[in-house]
Amino acid sequence: MAEPIVELRNITKRFPGIVANDNVTLDIKKGEIFALLGENGAGKSTLMSILFGMYEPDEGQIFVRGKEVHLTSSKDAAALNIGMVHQHFKLVSNYTITENIVLGDEPLKRFGPFSWVDLKGASEKIRALSLEYGLEVNPNDKIQDLQVSTQQRVEILKMLYRDAEILIFDEPTSVLTPQEIEYLLDIMEELRRGGKTIILITHKLEEIKRVADRCGILLRGKLVGIYDVATTTTQRMANLMVGKEVDFSVDKPDHEFGEVVLDVSNVTVYNDLKVKVVDDVSLEVRKGEILAIAGVSGNGQVDIADAIAGLQNISEGSITLNGEEISNLSIKERIAKGISYIPEDRQKEGLVMDLNLRDNLAIKTFDREPFSKKGVLQPNAFEDQAVDLIDRYDIRSGQGSQTITRSMSGGNQQKAIIAREVELDSDLLIFVQPTRGLDVGAIANIHQQILDQRALGKAILLVSLELDEVMALADTISVVFRGQILKTDDARNLSKEEVGQYMMGVTK
Amino acid sequence: MNIDKIMTDGLAFALPLFIMAIGGIYSERSGVTMLSIEGFQGFGAFVGAITVVILRTAMGASPDWLIYIATLAAVLGGMLLALLNALMVIKLKSKMTIAGVVINILAVALTSFLSSVITGAVTGQATTKIQLSVAPRYTIPGLSKIPVIGGLFQNIYPFAFIIIVVAALAWYVLYKTRYGLRLRAGGDNPHSLDAAGVDVNKLRFSAVVLAGGFAGLGGMAFTYTVANFSPASYVGYGYLSIAALIFGNWNISTTFWTSMFFGFSRSFSDQLVNELGLSSNYSDLFSVMPYVLTLIVLIFFSKHNRPPRALGEHFDKGKR
Ligand SMILES: Nc1ncnc2c1ncn2[C@@H]1O[C@H](COP(=O)(O)OP(=O)(O)OP(=O)(O)O)[C@@H](O)[C@H]1O
Ligand SMILES: [Mg+2]
Repeated sequence: MAEPIVELRNITKRFPGIVANDNVTLDIKKGEIFALLGENGAGKSTLMSILFGMYEPDEGQIFVRGKEVHLTSSKDAAALNIGMVHQHFKLVSNYTITENIVLGDEPLKRFGPFSWVDLKGASEKIRALSLEYGLEVNPNDKIQDLQVSTQQRVEILKMLYRDAEILIFDEPTSVLTPQEIEYLLDIMEELRRGGKTIILITHKLEEIKRVADRCGILLRGKLVGIYDVATTTTQRMANLMVGKEVDFSVDKPDHEFGEVVLDVSNVTVYNDLKVKVVDDVSLEVRKGEILAIAGVSGNGQVDIADAIAGLQNISEGSITLNGEEISNLSIKERIAKGISYIPEDRQKEGLVMDLNLRDNLAIKTFDREPFSKKGVLQPNAFEDQAVDLIDRYDIRSGQGSQTITRSMSGGNQQKAIIAREVELDSDLLIFVQPTRGLDVGAIANIHQQILDQRALGKAILLVSLELDEVMALADTISVVFRGQILKTDDARNLSKEEVGQYMMGVTK
Repeated sequence: MNIDKIMTDGLAFALPLFIMAIGGIYSERSGVTMLSIEGFQGFGAFVGAITVVILRTAMGASPDWLIYIATLAAVLGGMLLALLNALMVIKLKSKMTIAGVVINILAVALTSFLSSVITGAVTGQATTKIQLSVAPRYTIPGLSKIPVIGGLFQNIYPFAFIIIVVAALAWYVLYKTRYGLRLRAGGDNPHSLDAAGVDVNKLRFSAVVLAGGFAGLGGMAFTYTVANFSPASYVGYGYLSIAALIFGNWNISTTFWTSMFFGFSRSFSDQLVNELGLSSNYSDLFSVMPYVLTLIVLIFFSKHNRPPRALGEHFDKGKR
């Protein structure tokens, strides 16, 4: 393959209390798909943000096409034909696709002293681009009406519109369904054929295997090495990125289930827009059982979990916990009755991002003994618990119990939530997408935690979009489609393919 | 009932309100919460009025065109105070609502202090009440004879024309130009702007300063309708313009109609009081009518209205 198009030399970037990139040197060749792999918080996004001009490195040099460059804003990067799709999309929700794409690089029309943005011309150019690369969109649709996968296409078109040659994708697949992932990987290959250079950050090793040529691995800010994907096994990649042997085997001994803990019967839920999102759903979870709800995103699975936890009201049916009706209880009362909840959006619903770790760990129990006595908070009890949990659950952070949770990496935020919820010692644990966006090491760790709870005889409801996760953990699988449960069966009786079919609404 | 008068007065009240609301829209659509329109309009009007006093004394005469100089000065004055506001919220990252309240209090205190100091120095007689000449008014022949709405074209202040032109330009800039496209993105998702290489804080800074200019223009117009300026000129029109823009869903053309609604409901209630010959107690009761209407309208409409998504959030590059 050709000469390097990007060279990073001895890049170091520090944030308060942490070295996010530590003397990283790597080069990327023209026309390749280069994967960047590393644990949560290893510094992948930071490194790529530096290449995109969003952060300036504290030390080191960047060469693009052989010339040293100093990038102070993404404008500089765009001028060098570098584009980036960020982990969190950067789109204006009440703008059309066209308006979003031209933002910052608007084509103008002039008449005398007046000039205006030529949206019509831009729309046509975007339509042509979208046909050329198979990225179907309607340029006049508004972002807020689009699905995530379409929004992602807009981000890709944004780069192509600016004639980007070097395309950076930061975890593009964590928000997509398996079909959409396939489609995206095809597009990447198509782009490579068109001569583009692609840098792909992902936690999914199969994706790297499928499309990437080479793979750089970061560990705690340092580059471990660059590997040829064709000759490196996924197991070895995983080991290198974690820095030790990763055990992917799940130890799930068969055992008898106890009595029914959660009984959901004929529950119907309408969302804020008065749309029926859960339609006459019934399910049962027994002691020591993991019931997984499988389904394509947006088929009501999260609403079922929210209804049980009390985040959404039900309009019909009943929910009982240990034989007691709970559907009229407040969230707080349900927690007291024994429900732990690990929500889908850890930053919005799981943690108060601007509070420190210590307070977040006590956020569901602060009003009980020993955390408060006669209405007065007991800081020592908070601190003792935090120190204990940080140690037992291996929660890593810059400043221990005092760390503001916003600055923690995603994987460690998740560990903190799980520590808090498991410590409630509830009879029922609800896990919604517990491993989304996490690295393989963190995933293995969380799977082990879930299985430990199962061994303790807890009832576990798992909602996951990852079919592999469902197949690995579940005792019983329920497949949702358009708010209804299409199929419930013992996991041993169902193959991955069958579950996949039910997820698409095929009932045979 | 005097329909013509309702029309004339309604328009004279509604237009300044509208241009001030446009200032608020500029600021809020860029993402900066704007509570200081009241302060900008008062301070701008003060700067306009004091400029008139200075020029009048220097020239020993009071020609009609002073009114345009005053307007220009008012715009600059509003921008000056807005500059301070922008420094507070963008450079120093103070809370936007608190900064707004501080600016409003500061404006009242500063104008009464400065007006006695300056009038004292210039005319030898310190006062906080600055008398201005009566503004010329124009009637458009033909149109003013149309039944019912003819009043709209009678006795028009010169400001009406200025405001209409400026408002049209403001609309064009906000919805058609590059600057406007970027400005509106700032209030929805500033990170998208940053990723597109636009300096968010600079953009917001300019939007706040422009808001000061629009408010200054509105303030001067109000001041000329009563022909004098005093600290008592702060009567809540700035807040009313904020209500108009919320009711107008942060959109210039809708806000035009809500401003008209406020303007005409006020002139209507004034006329009603006149017509019925009520005692001043009752007239006060009627004068609150526009405000009560505002309240009712906001209660019903605010549910459907969508403030800009990133309104009130400081933009911080590093924040994830
Ligand atoms: N703006 C910031 N301020 C403070 N610390 C930061 C900031 N951005 C990143 N960090 C820290 O730098 C480290 C590297 O973060 P980065 O986002 O690059 O990780 P990553 O490899 O992309 O992880 P993930 O897989 O979770 O996305 C983390 O410890 C993170 O907490
Ligand atoms: Mg990242």
